[in-house]
Amino acid sequence: MKALVIDDSRVMRKIVGGILVDAGFEVVEAANGQEALDQMTLNDDITLCCIDWNMPVMSGFEFVVEVRKHAQWRDVTLMMVTTEGEQGQIVRALAAGAHEYVIKPFTPEVILDKLQFLGLVEVKETV
Amino acid sequence: MTSHGSWEPLSGMDPVMTIAQDLFATMIDGEPGHLSPWMGDTPVLDDPRYAWVDVDGPVVTRVMLMAGRATGENLTRALLAMEADEPVSDADFADAVGEIANVVGGNVKSLVTNPGALSLPVVGRDEPDNSSAMRIMATYFGWKGAPLGVSLWALT
Amino acid sequence: MTLTDDAFDFVATLVRQRSAIQLERGKEYLVESRLAPLARTAGATDVDSYVRALRHDVTKHDLVVEALTTNETSWFRDANPFSVLHATVVPDLVGRGRRDVRIWSAACSSGQEPYSIAMTFSEHFPALRPQIIATDLSELMLDRGRAGEYTQLEINRGLPAPMLVKYFEREGATFQITPSIRNQVQFRHHNLLEPAPPGGPFDIVFLRNVLIYFDVATKRDVLRRVRMSMAPDGYLFLGAAETTIGVDETWERIQIGSTSIYRPREGKTR
Repeated sequence: MKALVIDDSRVMRKIVGGILVDAGFEVVEAANGQEALDQMTLNDDITLCCIDWNMPVMSGFEFVVEVRKHAQWRDVTLMMVTTEGEQGQIVRALAAGAHEYVIKPFTPEVILDKLQFLGLVEVKETV
Repeated sequence: MTSHGSWEPLSGMDPVMTIAQDLFATMIDGEPGHLSPWMGDTPVLDDPRYAWVDVDGPVVTRVMLMAGRATGENLTRALLAMEADEPVSDADFADAVGEIANVVGGNVKSLVTNPGALSLPVVGRDEPDNSSAMRIMATYFGWKGAPLGVSLWALT
Repeated sequence: MTLTDDAFDFVATLVRQRSAIQLERGKEYLVESRLAPLARTAGATDVDSYVRALRHDVTKHDLVVEALTTNETSWFRDANPFSVLHATVVPDLVGRGRRDVRIWSAACSSGQEPYSIAMTFSEHFPALRPQIIATDLSELMLDRGRAGEYTQLEINRGLPAPMLVKYFEREGATFQITPSIRNQVQFRHHNLLEPAPPGGPFDIVFLRNVLIYFDVATKRDVLRRVRMSMAPDGYLFLGAAETTIGVDETWERIQIGSTSIYRPREGKTR
């Protein structure tokens, strides 16, 4: 399974990427929406994108809008990972085609819970 | 709150405290309890650094993080899972401290009525030009014994 | 870690007496982190000194017990049981003629589980009116459940974003569950060591991640009372790492994917 982590912050890419690697994904990165589109074209096996909203050049929202225009990327799961937390923003992102939404700050479990609900990972229960 | 701001703090609670503590507990320390209110007089920051984001709107709200260089380096190390004395590059410093300002600012934005866009973070040695700004509040914290602060400004 | 063995033993004994929950060696980190906020509020230098001080202060014991008897909660915990609920369990009950479905969410904590059940029904069986009784030992948690108000950190855990926008309203720093969901759940104080709450016989019982804290004899007791409160063709959901196997042979286990559900075995009442 391959995931694309899109955030202009290297720190965030490392954190999110680390969580996904632990969950069994191979991870590629992009620092803005445009680079992310390039990665989508370069890698035809990406199944999940974790997307920051506010980035230079092209925002995560614009990336989502663009991806949803392309039939070949119809089955890619789009998960926003962003500080944008108003209800209106969440509604906008989902309406544009994002499937999931994580508000920063988050723990690894937050992302894993959502991946489990989407059927992308099987999480082992620990007490 | 006063008429100039669209910032509406919740009564009985310091929302910036909660935002900062949640961020530190989830992403910096991995557990709660390491970021507490600063006790005593307003601290003096050693070799201060500033990181801020601006929330657009009828009044622009600036959310600014203030910390000494050494504290900023330790925050960077915590976020990047670096060793205790590993050197921190300027780029990593700016990235990490900027991202902290981004998360705090973004969460503050969710509490502001009719917020506009959130700017990308700016990190610098000098305070930004706050000459036409009114400070709404400032909160100081202790993290592993070192002070750091968050201030909110209304830019006119 | 400041907690000494002495202090840990005291806390473990206190919790055991009040709730039958067992805090074994190895759970020191849990006690330390759960009591840290209380210690801070009380102005203690650390958790160990906080515990030493409260040995003689009975009025603080409730707080300690409550801090240690709440589980980490998320919405739709483990995800799969809720799929089994709407894909298998409810269709089966409806097929048997049920129009009202009675559900007991035991040890419901701050309400995420009963509300997740209510949302599942709303999504998949909007014509059905589930009657959901949610119980817990902690009045603090019950009040939280009744209020239906959650922090951003809590809302981030396991709640699918489409349900967030459909069933919650953001109000400042917190998220409020919509009245149509909130009104489907009745919160009630209940101790699992006592007879089952009113509202039965229950068609579905969620008893998740609480048996793990009990010794075997207590587990059997609790399961017996649960079984007596259920319709004979009802379903029991346990936590993902839990089972009745080896504890209580009066249940039949049904495996659906990675989820096990349990039904009272026909003809067995003890």
